[in-house]
Amino acid sequence: MERFQRLRATLSGDLGSTLFLLLGVLGVLWVIYLTIEQGPRSMIAVLIIGLTDGAIYALIALGYTMVYGIIELINFAHGDVFTLGAFFALAILGLFKLGPGANYTLAAIPILIFVTVVVMALNGLVNIAIERIAYRPLRNAPRLAPLITAIGMSFLVEGAMYLWRGPVDLRFPDLISENRYELFYGNFGPQGKVAPLIDLGVKDIMVVVASVFLVVMLSLFISRTKLGKAMRATAQDRDAAALMGIDINRTISATFFIGAALAGAGGIIYALYFNSIRFDLGFSAGLVAFTAAVLGGIGNIEGAALGGLLIGVIRALNDRYFSASWSDVVIFAILILVLVFRPTGLLGMQVPEK
Amino acid sequence: MRVTRLGRAAAIVALGLVAVACGGSTSGSGSGGSKGTISIGVDLPESGASSSSGLPTLNGVKYAVQKAGGSIDGWTLTVENRDDAVGGSYNTDKGVQNVTDLIGTNTVVAMVGPFNSAVAQAEIPITNVAGLTMISPSNTNPCLTKDLSTCAFHPQDLRKKANNYFRVVATDDLQGPAMADYAYNTLGIKTIGIMDEKSVYGVGIADAFQAQFVKDGGKYQRQSFDPKTTTDWRAILQGFKDFGATGIYMGGTDDQKACQPRGQMNALGIGSWPYLGGDGLTTSQCIDDAADSALGLSATTAGADASQIPSAAGVITDFKKSFTGANDYGAYTMTAYDAANIEIAAIKKAIDGGANPKSINAFREAVRNNVSHTTNFPGVLGSTTFDANGDTSQKIISIFAVKQETQSRVAVGDLTCGKAGGPNALYCFEWTKQVNFGA
Repeated sequence: MERFQRLRATLSGDLGSTLFLLLGVLGVLWVIYLTIEQGPRSMIAVLIIGLTDGAIYALIALGYTMVYGIIELINFAHGDVFTLGAFFALAILGLFKLGPGANYTLAAIPILIFVTVVVMALNGLVNIAIERIAYRPLRNAPRLAPLITAIGMSFLVEGAMYLWRGPVDLRFPDLISENRYELFYGNFGPQGKVAPLIDLGVKDIMVVVASVFLVVMLSLFISRTKLGKAMRATAQDRDAAALMGIDINRTISATFFIGAALAGAGGIIYALYFNSIRFDLGFSAGLVAFTAAVLGGIGNIEGAALGGLLIGVIRALNDRYFSASWSDVVIFAILILVLVFRPTGLLGMQVPEK
Repeated sequence: MRVTRLGRAAAIVALGLVAVACGGSTSGSGSGGSKGTISIGVDLPESGASSSSGLPTLNGVKYAVQKAGGSIDGWTLTVENRDDAVGGSYNTDKGVQNVTDLIGTNTVVAMVGPFNSAVAQAEIPITNVAGLTMISPSNTNPCLTKDLSTCAFHPQDLRKKANNYFRVVATDDLQGPAMADYAYNTLGIKTIGIMDEKSVYGVGIADAFQAQFVKDGGKYQRQSFDPKTTTDWRAILQGFKDFGATGIYMGGTDDQKACQPRGQMNALGIGSWPYLGGDGLTTSQCIDDAADSALGLSATTAGADASQIPSAAGVITDFKKSFTGANDYGAYTMTAYDAANIEIAAIKKAIDGGANPKSINAFREAVRNNVSHTTNFPGVLGSTTFDANGDTSQKIISIFAVKQETQSRVAVGDLTCGKAGGPNALYCFEWTKQVNFGA
């Protein structure tokens, strides 16, 4: 047993970090090689795909990381809360006569923003309810109990959406402009044909801008506001925070609220981008986002954002230059590698001190 | 014993009931000169969501019996119908129950069905032992009759005795090659991207397409995705684009997201590429999933489209005179009609050959033997000969393409279109051509 502990310590210590760094360097070299061999236009297109996917993963990962950071719970239901946001948005947009057939109009944008705010609040309230019902009673129970409850909650939320809209893929209104921007024309096309180096859509810009905005807002909130300070304090040392007069229950509820609000916004961004949602979307989206959170450093907000973007890019690179059959293998191999060689994640963990 | 007035009245009522019960028979003409009853069994999914598949198919059998006048050579001909749907969906256990029941019914000499290949896989071992002829109007899984290397089960595993299973439609292993030739020769696609969603059907049909496409002289790039964890196909599509492809073949079914990649092609500037597939794509869900790129979808089905055969038009019109409901006619009504007629001919031949329907086992064997020797049988959908495996010589694959229709054309109700009231409601699969591998 002792030998195993030592082995583990070695692997996840400096040796592990070095190995991980090596992996990263190899990855970058591979990307550079591909850029030279296949042309920069292809690589840029793949990176745009990876970053837009990654931005959405990042928004989901933030919720995972925040909740883990404060009560050390992997909230398996979080991916489904992400899906729920999209479902709520679909229903509310329908009330504004913006159903699945609706297209982009300038007039629709303010409605969209209003609906997003409403859905974020709604999602937050749902998550507060989930925390109150399923996790708070188990706050002092052995760690396995809330974990299993979270899995059960995940099935419950999925089941609710299934009963609400059925098993089919639902079409989401296409409310973002389809315009594309082609930049830097040159001989970048196949066989040297004239083609733009960068081919961006309004949707791509929307995803990145919206995600960056939300992450920055979150960062400012955590660092500048009193509630944010309370969240940091509770995450650092719950008992000391209580002794300082912080209302722990309120702080934890706020964490759940914010995490779900972000996931809800993520769900709407996803739905606007891909125009299709299904009740079981959150199952796999959640697993990938969780991997991203761990990759970046669980409990670490910047880590979750970085992890999300990295996972998105790695997946896109894999699908384009290797084989899409290996997509899941690659992502979850990364999860295992991180847990073995660099369990604190790329930017370091932030979990309650014992 | 003294008979009271009440007792006498009760006796008269009882006698009356017995007379009514005996006098009225099921379908077909009444008594009076009938030598007895012969039944054609039916096992189809007929309730809930599957009624739109099963009921029109059942109607084909009923129509055949009706056209035969409800009798053969003095024997009353009836339909013994069984539903294998449970909770609106076909159920193999129920199917097994049904065929066991049909075998135990000693007027049933042959049957039409089942509708679904999975049910056939469960039923054939039972009907084979009993020697009960089955003709399916719709099963397309090739492994039921052919021992392909890709098969998860083998036809010989299902049969202990001589073959009793036949079908009047072609099989999935011909759908891929049909579309490969169409893509290469008709659509002019020389380089193609092929995808599958890691299902037995999807991988199988994509492999079949790939092999034929290569034989035709084309180049391909192949990718698989897991429908449970994939929502973004753009990186795969980018790969196809960089490879120089000008079209895509998708091996899969709509419920495994086979048509969602189509919705992401516009953003990559390849929305004008043809998007091809098998019968897993010829659905309204697929048209909807394709979003604003529904045009350019083409897919195959295994079997002929009755509406395209000039001689069938008269039969269909006559059918609709007797079956007047809006949903009485379906994609498999005519295949079921042909299947029933093949059996009726075989039954007649058996009777004329001296077999006695009352000796049910010997008669079933006589019918089975006659069906297995079906040669150049003139059906609505063409001339049928069964080969040694039970497959039809009419190896017809139909190709459909999505076109934009008018509201009134959609209202006729015979095309597969996007969901009613949805944004793609006017986009429908229209018959384009058929390929006959048996010709």
